Amino acid sequence: MKARSFRYLTGEGIKSAWANRLMSLASVGVLVACMVIIGLFILLYQNASRALGAVEKQNVVLAYMKDYTWALYGGEVEKAAEGGDENGILPDSYVIHNEDEALEYCKEIEKLDNVESVEYISPQDALERETQNMKDRGMYVDSILGEEYGNPYSGAAKVTMKGMDDFADTVEAIKKMDATDSVEAQSDLADSLFFIKRGLTTGAIWIFVILLIISFVVVSNTIRITMYSRKLEISIMKAVGATDAFVRIPFVIEGIFIGLLSAVISEGLLYFCYRVATETLLKKWPKVSIVSYADMALILFGIFVAIGLFAGVICSFFMIRKYLRREGSEFSAI
Amino acid sequence: MSPSSESDKPIIEFKGVSKTYPSGTHALEDVNIRIKRGEFAFVVGSSGAGKSTFMKLIMREEKANTGTIIVNGFDLTKMRRRKVPMLRRTMGVVFQDFRLIPKMNVFDNVAFAMHVLGTNANGRQIRKEVSNALAKVGLGDKARSMPNELSGGEQQRVGLARALVNSPDLIIADEPTGNVDPNMSYEIVSLLTEINKRGTTVLMVTHDHSLVRDFKHRVIMLDSGRIVADNAGGDEE
Ligand SMILES: Nc1ncnc2c1ncn2[C@@H]1O[C@H](COP(=O)(O)OP(=O)(O)O)[C@@H](O)[C@H]1O
Ligand SMILES: [Mg+2]
Repeated sequence: MKARSFRYLTGEGIKSAWANRLMSLASVGVLVACMVIIGLFILLYQNASRALGAVEKQNVVLAYMKDYTWALYGGEVEKAAEGGDENGILPDSYVIHNEDEALEYCKEIEKLDNVESVEYISPQDALERETQNMKDRGMYVDSILGEEYGNPYSGAAKVTMKGMDDFADTVEAIKKMDATDSVEAQSDLADSLFFIKRGLTTGAIWIFVILLIISFVVVSNTIRITMYSRKLEISIMKAVGATDAFVRIPFVIEGIFIGLLSAVISEGLLYFCYRVATETLLKKWPKVSIVSYADMALILFGIFVAIGLFAGVICSFFMIRKYLRREGSEFSAI
Repeated sequence: MSPSSESDKPIIEFKGVSKTYPSGTHALEDVNIRIKRGEFAFVVGSSGAGKSTFMKLIMREEKANTGTIIVNGFDLTKMRRRKVPMLRRTMGVVFQDFRLIPKMNVFDNVAFAMHVLGTNANGRQIRKEVSNALAKVGLGDKARSMPNELSGGEQQRVGLARALVNSPDLIIADEPTGNVDPNMSYEIVSLLTEINKRGTTVLMVTHDHSLVRDFKHRVIMLDSGRIVADNAGGDEE
């Protein structure tokens, strides 16, 4: 069978990778660097997602108050015919009349069993934060928050709970309080999570593309040098009637060899780096929840092998195309 | 080996072949020639006459612009690139610059030509064929030598063994003695003559008049891309 020739040419490929070991090593080095950076980014992303996910689910809620703004915009308050202010609102129809009462309300919530802490967010705070959020998202803020409408935000209590178990009960308890309008998950946090995730994703894609290009350039160059150093062999192979596929084998094997070796080294190196990094981190913050390498090992290795094989095979294929067009006698002139 | 109807046909046939390089050089013009199976032909002519172009057309390293070329039953003018290896397997090429792989010993250099073809030969058959080929060129005892340990004449004999190892019908040699000193040249042409006597067609370009004179073979003379002399049929037909 042709297996014998295949073995022979595979051996030739590995020999030529070894003969060009300095170049092979250089391209393995660059490939490893690219793979490790890509791997670190994936791990960072996974950890960020997990951390953010944990925060998202975290027991923080905003309890909006029945204050003047609520009375004005909430639509649940009957406009009094007389005795009200210029908007027809009676002082009895809303609960929180001033900052003292707001702080008092916060203290009331803090007394609940499952509540860890409460922070008062004034209407002014809320307005500033929402304005900033909208600006971040590229919205045209002035048209929404025009002067004439005043501040549309009610004051709120930002409630952090002790645990998730009694979360629903605690929310119920807060809702039952007289001064509570509604209870919502905290939105500014969700917003910043959205931005962090989007930033990470965009960054990851760019880094991936750039590193992939670098890998291709470096591996192509190595294969080109190998091809140059094997031009004598190629010319003989062509003269005796070796098919293009056979002429290719040593180079494709060399490409695969470089790609696979890089993948294995990257996996090991990344494991080591990640372990050192997470151990240091855990020493400082023992409570931090970290993605375990074991969970990611297979996926990462798959990605590395894919990058390595892709770079190796594609590069060797394209680099040798040019040479395959050349004929034996021309080789001495290359 | 080939059917008898095949062996009557010329192994090489050029009909109205012209070759113009993209640079505009007319390397060959209206070449018509037939070389029979089992012939030995020298191709002579001054530098730039078109001798190498003639050989390259036979190996299908270059394509003719006009005319028809038939080699070993293959119509080269209609041949697809993918089929070229099959044509080359029927011929053995000897290079002027030997083209031995320096890091391989003599045996491995010859075996290389078998290994890279993906044939069915097993290790034992390869050893047998390589040993035979080396014996034919008188280098049976140099199998383990490295190319740089050999003289130019010996290196070219390794090249010849490599050309023979796949049992070709045709040997193509463009100035095989160009880098070999004169008495070694005689030895090489003697070997080629031996090989020719056992049935292999030999086509050899040379500048060396004494070789042409002393070995009484067919002589095809080119000048400015045209065949100006050919003593075909002098000793045959
Ligand atoms: N690849 C090429 N491109 C352009 N011109 C060429 C090429 N090869 C040969 N020639 C030209 O074709 C003519 C014949 O060349 P060649 O066949 O090599 O002659 P010879 O081998 O008899 O010296 C010469 O004028 C040479 O310069
Ligand atoms: Mg020439």
